[in-house]
Amino acid sequence: MKGKCYIQGMAAISPQHTFEGDLLSQPMAVTQGNMLSCVEPDYRAFIAPNSLRRMTRVLKMGLAASLKCLQESGVAVPGAIVTGTGKGSLQDTERFIKEIRDFEERALNPTPFIQSTYNAVNGLIALQQKCTQYNNTFVHRGFSFEHALLDSMLLLSEGKPDVLAGAFDEITTEHFFIKSRIGHWKQETIASDTLYEHVSPGTISGEGAAFFLLTPTATAQSYAQLGGLQMLYKPSPEKLHTALGQFLAQHGVQPEDIDLVLSGANADSNHLHYYDVLNSYALNTQLPFKHLCGDYETAGAFALWLGAAILKQQQVPAQWFPMLKEQPRKLQHILIYNHFFGEQHSFMLLHKVS
Amino acid sequence: MAERVFITGVGMITAIGDDVAGNLRSLRAQQSGLDYTRQLTTIYKDVLPVAEVKHTTQELSEMAGVAGKEGYTRTALLGLIAMQEALRHAGITDMQDEPAGFINASTVGGMCDTENVYFDIADPAKTGDFIRFIDTLDCADCTQRIADTVGIEGQIATISTACSSSANALMYGARLIKAGVARRVICGGTEALTRFTLNGFNSLKNIDKRPCMPFDQDRNGLNLGEGAAYLVLESESLVKERNATILAALDGYANTNEAFHPTAPSPEGDGAYAAMKSAMEMGGCVPADIQYVNVHGTATLSNDVAEGMALQRLFGEQTPKFSSTKPFTGHTLAAAGGIEAIYSVLAIQHQLIFPNLHFKDKMEELYITPETSLLEDYPVRHVLSNSFGFGGNNASLLISKYEG
Amino acid sequence: MEELKQKLKVQIIEALNLQDTRPEDIDDNAPLFGDGLGLDSIDSLELMVLLERYYHIKVEDPREGRKILQSVQSMAEFIQSKQPA
Repeated sequence: MKGKCYIQGMAAISPQHTFEGDLLSQPMAVTQGNMLSCVEPDYRAFIAPNSLRRMTRVLKMGLAASLKCLQESGVAVPGAIVTGTGKGSLQDTERFIKEIRDFEERALNPTPFIQSTYNAVNGLIALQQKCTQYNNTFVHRGFSFEHALLDSMLLLSEGKPDVLAGAFDEITTEHFFIKSRIGHWKQETIASDTLYEHVSPGTISGEGAAFFLLTPTATAQSYAQLGGLQMLYKPSPEKLHTALGQFLAQHGVQPEDIDLVLSGANADSNHLHYYDVLNSYALNTQLPFKHLCGDYETAGAFALWLGAAILKQQQVPAQWFPMLKEQPRKLQHILIYNHFFGEQHSFMLLHKVS
Repeated sequence: MAERVFITGVGMITAIGDDVAGNLRSLRAQQSGLDYTRQLTTIYKDVLPVAEVKHTTQELSEMAGVAGKEGYTRTALLGLIAMQEALRHAGITDMQDEPAGFINASTVGGMCDTENVYFDIADPAKTGDFIRFIDTLDCADCTQRIADTVGIEGQIATISTACSSSANALMYGARLIKAGVARRVICGGTEALTRFTLNGFNSLKNIDKRPCMPFDQDRNGLNLGEGAAYLVLESESLVKERNATILAALDGYANTNEAFHPTAPSPEGDGAYAAMKSAMEMGGCVPADIQYVNVHGTATLSNDVAEGMALQRLFGEQTPKFSSTKPFTGHTLAAAGGIEAIYSVLAIQHQLIFPNLHFKDKMEELYITPETSLLEDYPVRHVLSNSFGFGGNNASLLISKYEG
Repeated sequence: MEELKQKLKVQIIEALNLQDTRPEDIDDNAPLFGDGLGLDSIDSLELMVLLERYYHIKVEDPREGRKILQSVQSMAEFIQSKQPA
């Protein structure tokens, strides 16, 4: 694929204070318990009351994050809107299933059905910004956001001036319970800041919404360059190892050039061994990020937001990373490696904009 | 110069046939697949017609060769059957000789099975076999089941843009090939009937109690259907390398958004117009080049007005033959774009125009009417296939005869 | 009739989650859609659900619904016409 991709603006709603204020001065939000929930902003600043009244939580999170991202980028109507979500609006899906049962299929309110559609957030953004351009939604677990990014990169190389790419997912108590039945979460209840001390089956759950305005050229405001992206479906550890070496080489980067690795390691003993690949290349400073956002299908979007923010600030927010011994000597190249319960693996390579 | 993208294999299962040949037979016989459900537990089973695949889920698992293996939802089985046919048809026997991508489309994933056990799944007091359906709640499960069963290891993704999902899957696959990310991508969608979607569309008062009547003045909504369809897309260089048979070319496509309303198109069909026009232009066609439009034609009040207006704006008095095949297959949501893309390929291969069943009276808002008879030996070279959905999502594909 | 209209206003506010609206803000004859309360076609489907759930009146035809749902007044008149005196 030809062409370049820069992050021109971005916004994130997450279990951390990421939506407003300065990254370096926000204290780490710690959750007692295995289900991390977002710090939600006042949506009325972004969404008209008449629109807000019907919207459920993840729709508000997605729409507000996308609008803040556009605002920050100074772009009203992007050239395309592409998103990823693993679960869409869980609240609406759960509500419609329940209403079908409770009202025995009679006199059903259509709103939860409409909003349970996975591309509902995309439609809302397009509607609010009057964006009649390309619009797409990927719904593939740990590849949802990554394919949204790949699609965006294709769009830029095809000539779009800019693309709004993002991801959103929520967790509900009901869904938390459901996924606990197939071992997604730790049995012991922990505090999020002690995640890595509890290596055992399962992890902690999370949620979030993050949006990025991507452009083919850099400006003084650019956060970072997204230099490379690769997805691997159910790779063997050997295949993963080879692929990481090739990925770096293909983008002209040596393992020692990587100044920081943001790793999706989540203390889940069932799938933790994949992260050994990072050690096999003796990569520099590795920082795990899931104690900040929990695990969910589109956690990669949080990692991208974090990596891009670090590159722009040229500093790691040390208050969020107690395990950080010292700031990296330089911050030129960041590698993100994440996987979702061992199935969908992805590498992202970020460069500082010079 | 980006490579051309060719269609080299097709596979499908719908209410009117278990494979492509069966579908073609029913289309030629003008045999609709609409009937009442035998599989779905719903109070509407004798009220709302649906186009259901005429097999139990158990029978489907036998057809797919996975009988006795656990965890395949009806959605995954329909998809698997269509995928196996598409691979066979394209002459692909070894998945290892060329990494294949798989771009699937789904609107509600395994809901067909999970909705029957959801309250057990969510109830801490209950345990049992239903636990195995937890992982089928989302849209990716069916994609991975299909990929794992046939051995796909390349790029895999699932798209969900409501009723335009599989048209977008085809578009994304073609773009991955043009960008050089892959040389072979299998694209389409799968959809099983569910109580969830039936009640959803019914709550929108969008379902007709009669067999649907696209583009008819008296139409009053859609009928849901189920099925799956996949098309093997390959780059020109790969096709030449392995001397594959080209069924048709995917030369144009476009995705636009209405930005008008969460579930309704703009009355003038702005998005539909823009999608068809861009797809056509991308393939280097002018309106006079198009012989057939396989319209979205759901028979809802608003779709057919908007789509009809868009056709009139684009083609005027010279509007080519057009028909909705939804009276045959029902509206198969995420599978519709794939199914209708295959029908477009069949129209080109067999020089056919399919009839728009159940049409009687012209709509008062339009001066055009759909084709109501089966036309044989009709010179079809370029077909537009439309898929429009919730969220204002419009997709249009230009499928063309390969003439070297 | 007055009582019914009052009850309807409360139900409409609740069903449509009109957070900043009080029952007394809704004029009996003001149009519910467009310029009035600013409701849209999805709200009209929700109001039909309200009629069915609370008053057991089923409106089959969306076009008929439009007429019934013009205002609180028209809704109340319709409900009364359907109920035994």
